[in-house]
Amino acid sequence: MRLAALLALAAPAALACEMPGGPAEKLQSATHTILYRAEPGLGVGRHFALAVAVCPPPKDVRVDAWMPDHRHGMNYRPSIAPLGDGRYRADGLLFHMPGRWEFLFEVRGAGGTERFEHSVRVE
Amino acid sequence: MRRAPLLLLLAALVPAAHAFTKAEMRAIAAHGPWPPAFARDPSNRASGNPDAIELGERLFFERRLSADGEQSCSRCHIPERSWTDGLARAQGLALTDRNTQSIANVRLQRWFGWDGANDSLWAQSIRPIIDPRELGMGARQVAALVRGDADLACRYRKVFGEVPANDEAVLVGVAKALAAFQETRVSGRAPFDEFRDALLKGDEAGIASYPEDAKRGLVIFIGKGKCNACHLGPAFTNGEFHDTGIPFFIEKGRVDPGRHSGIQKLRASPYNLLGPYNDAPERAAAIGTRHVRLEHRNFGEFRTPSLRNLAPTAPYMHNGSLATLRDVVNHYSTLSPDRLHADGEAILVALKLGEGEVRDLVAFLESLSDGGGTYARRRFAADCR
Repeated sequence: MRLAALLALAAPAALACEMPGGPAEKLQSATHTILYRAEPGLGVGRHFALAVAVCPPPKDVRVDAWMPDHRHGMNYRPSIAPLGDGRYRADGLLFHMPGRWEFLFEVRGAGGTERFEHSVRVE
Repeated sequence: MRRAPLLLLLAALVPAAHAFTKAEMRAIAAHGPWPPAFARDPSNRASGNPDAIELGERLFFERRLSADGEQSCSRCHIPERSWTDGLARAQGLALTDRNTQSIANVRLQRWFGWDGANDSLWAQSIRPIIDPRELGMGARQVAALVRGDADLACRYRKVFGEVPANDEAVLVGVAKALAAFQETRVSGRAPFDEFRDALLKGDEAGIASYPEDAKRGLVIFIGKGKCNACHLGPAFTNGEFHDTGIPFFIEKGRVDPGRHSGIQKLRASPYNLLGPYNDAPERAAAIGTRHVRLEHRNFGEFRTPSLRNLAPTAPYMHNGSLATLRDVVNHYSTLSPDRLHADGEAILVALKLGEGEVRDLVAFLESLSDGGGTYARRRFAADCR
């Protein structure tokens, strides 16, 4: 009981954050937790969407991606639709080359804007 | 008795056959299988319709579809020349700015034309009809042709119903029939496809029958050349746009902005997939058009061409400025960073290939061709009923 309470105090966002529907990647800061899942999965040369959950629910979220080693981003600007309770759907992403891509999440909350990065490799 | 040392000597001189690594096998497997299964274009209700294919085939060779009655789609997309014309820049009613691309495998594209100014094959088919340098027609003339020819009108009705009163709608119907025909043009299996399948099956005889120089070229293609970073998948293209250092000056005082103007034309087009002529009510195929991003770096970018049936489609590049495959390989071998955008593709560097490597890469590229077209123009029934 005492340990659980301590964990809850240390990372309240993490414990409260869930996204049903399958496994999701998890990014975390002191103030926010992001869960995201590519639908129908990551690949090269085809459009995909991201299901995103942010805890606690922020004011706004932006999603983008780029290839740091190639020094360019995607040829598409994703749209993001809020679904309520910190849930979002980002559409229109496409990785047009294989290699290392980096997702960029910008979360605008009460305390300002936080930036999250997450590397993935697609073949 | 003296033969054994001679054979040993010869064996030492012949390079050992390349043993492909697991990573190379994965990369090779990704370039197949071939041919791909047919999939209807949901934005075109005539896609896959045999009557539409027949109408489209007639229209493809129809010279009355041009302002002077002498041009046709087939004047530049010549079947005997692998659906290209052998010219650096296409010549219709006037000289155009770009090289004619083959229509083989065109249905696999996401964007159409060197600049991707169209997002469907049927919209792309409208472009040369109304371009004053190509066929030089307008919607009014195209509609008059269809309405005034009993056979064409009958075939149009069989596919789309009554010929509409709206000229633009008739033009779109004509383009959709042309697209239905072009969708049927798929290149055949190439020596590379036989090798790929043999490699995956462990068929030693099949593997051995693929020339060693092509195998070495393939290793460069998927290895130090990183060619498959853009020329990926079964069609050997990512369908997107890059600046590869080919000059975009057309002539003194005139430049070809490539993708930068392509995106602007796409957005302005009444025929794009966000418009009223898309036959798919849910507009799912319009996702690229809805999200495409216009950036400064798009200036001078051109669409990555497919490499299938490359050998018989010289000259190369968007302006036809490179005469041979050897010239193309040498271009990438000696590429100067000064010719590239500062904010362009950072992995694009001179490959600095040796003479033998250039030959090997050319041998591999030649192995992507099916060795000759299988197209024979059909004899049609004289009258439509």
